[in-house]
Amino acid sequence: MENTVSILRQIPLNNYILLSTLLFCIGVIGVLSRRNAIIILMCVELMLNAVNLLLAAFSAYNSDPAGQVFVFFIMAVAAAEVAVGLAILMMVFRNTGTVDINALNKLKG
Amino acid sequence: MTLSIFYFLSFLAILSALMVVVSKNPIHSVLYLIITFFAIAGHYVLLNAQFLAAVHVIVYAGAIMVLFLYVIMMLNLNAEVEPHKSVWLKSAATVAGGTLMVVLVGALRTSASVGSPLPADANIGLIKTLGKTLYKDFMLPFEISSILFLAAMVGAVMLGKKETK
Amino acid sequence: MQHQDLPSDYFPMVIQFIVAVGFIATTMVATHLLGPKRKSKIKLESFECGIESQGNARIPFSIKYFLVAILFVLFDVEVIFMYPWAVNFKELGTTGIAEMFVFMVLLLTGFYYIIKKGALKWE
Repeated sequence: MENTVSILRQIPLNNYILLSTLLFCIGVIGVLSRRNAIIILMCVELMLNAVNLLLAAFSAYNSDPAGQVFVFFIMAVAAAEVAVGLAILMMVFRNTGTVDINALNKLKG
Repeated sequence: MTLSIFYFLSFLAILSALMVVVSKNPIHSVLYLIITFFAIAGHYVLLNAQFLAAVHVIVYAGAIMVLFLYVIMMLNLNAEVEPHKSVWLKSAATVAGGTLMVVLVGALRTSASVGSPLPADANIGLIKTLGKTLYKDFMLPFEISSILFLAAMVGAVMLGKKETK
Repeated sequence: MQHQDLPSDYFPMVIQFIVAVGFIATTMVATHLLGPKRKSKIKLESFECGIESQGNARIPFSIKYFLVAILFVLFDVEVIFMYPWAVNFKELGTTGIAEMFVFMVLLLTGFYYIIKKGALKWE
């Protein structure tokens, strides 16, 4: 018991918030700066993971298991998103021969 | 000791996250993202969320990233066919992301800092505690997630299956 | 007082991880150093004679594998909800069984759809 508290006290919660912010912003930069749709999906995964880390940190610091249960739901959403997203990408690739998101400008009105 | 582990894992996570964004070859991006996920799993262990760490490795490194690797190898993508944005657009994206980071960090600095943690309960991350919370307090989201899975399955099969006419 | 899990309890796992990674790294480095090496352009060709090879060795493969992989991911994530249920099976009682029943019925509906659509058929 003593050990756990001392371990958590050694790392301020602000460190975790800062780390999650950095990871999230790297994900945002990736989404904005790449044109390969698969990399964009991977950066979205990175952003979801930043949020997961933050939820787990809050859960540990507040001694509330609800935060970690939220992470399960986020994982479920991430898996569903990846499955459907990659299936759509396969269709796009089959029809246009590329995964470049600029190939989708036909959707413009 | 703990703090140095924290800094090492954070450094690893941020460095490989940056490499995901900058590397030209999509396969390298996938491998760097797997390193990031392992670093995050290490953070979960530090936070006393052991079940979460195991599940994270199983789901992300074991299933989702394998799927990404599959798709990249199936589409035969490599550094040569990688589409590029102009340098101008890339720097604009970096400035936009950096601004978001500055805003977030600035907002966090002025907010009241969180005091010392509550007396930590080391059993929070155990599978038993999580199960009780999940099946007592979060019954409805749990059932809804199964509908989400159903929708994802149907969607993936609809999109991925070749039409047989 | 019940047993408390501490991060230090997971030290053996870290050691095992290090041993596993270290074994692979050592083996790879050792085979690299010990084996004879002869690198020339002709040696690295796929075939000694015949027509010149074109493109790289990675060829696109069938979409069948992709569907199986996607469905694997979905059922893999579903299992993470079942571990906590199995551990708490006794305490949750009838409510737990009812919850899991609804969950499984919805998932098996999806599975039935997949089978019916022939997504796993391997002609």
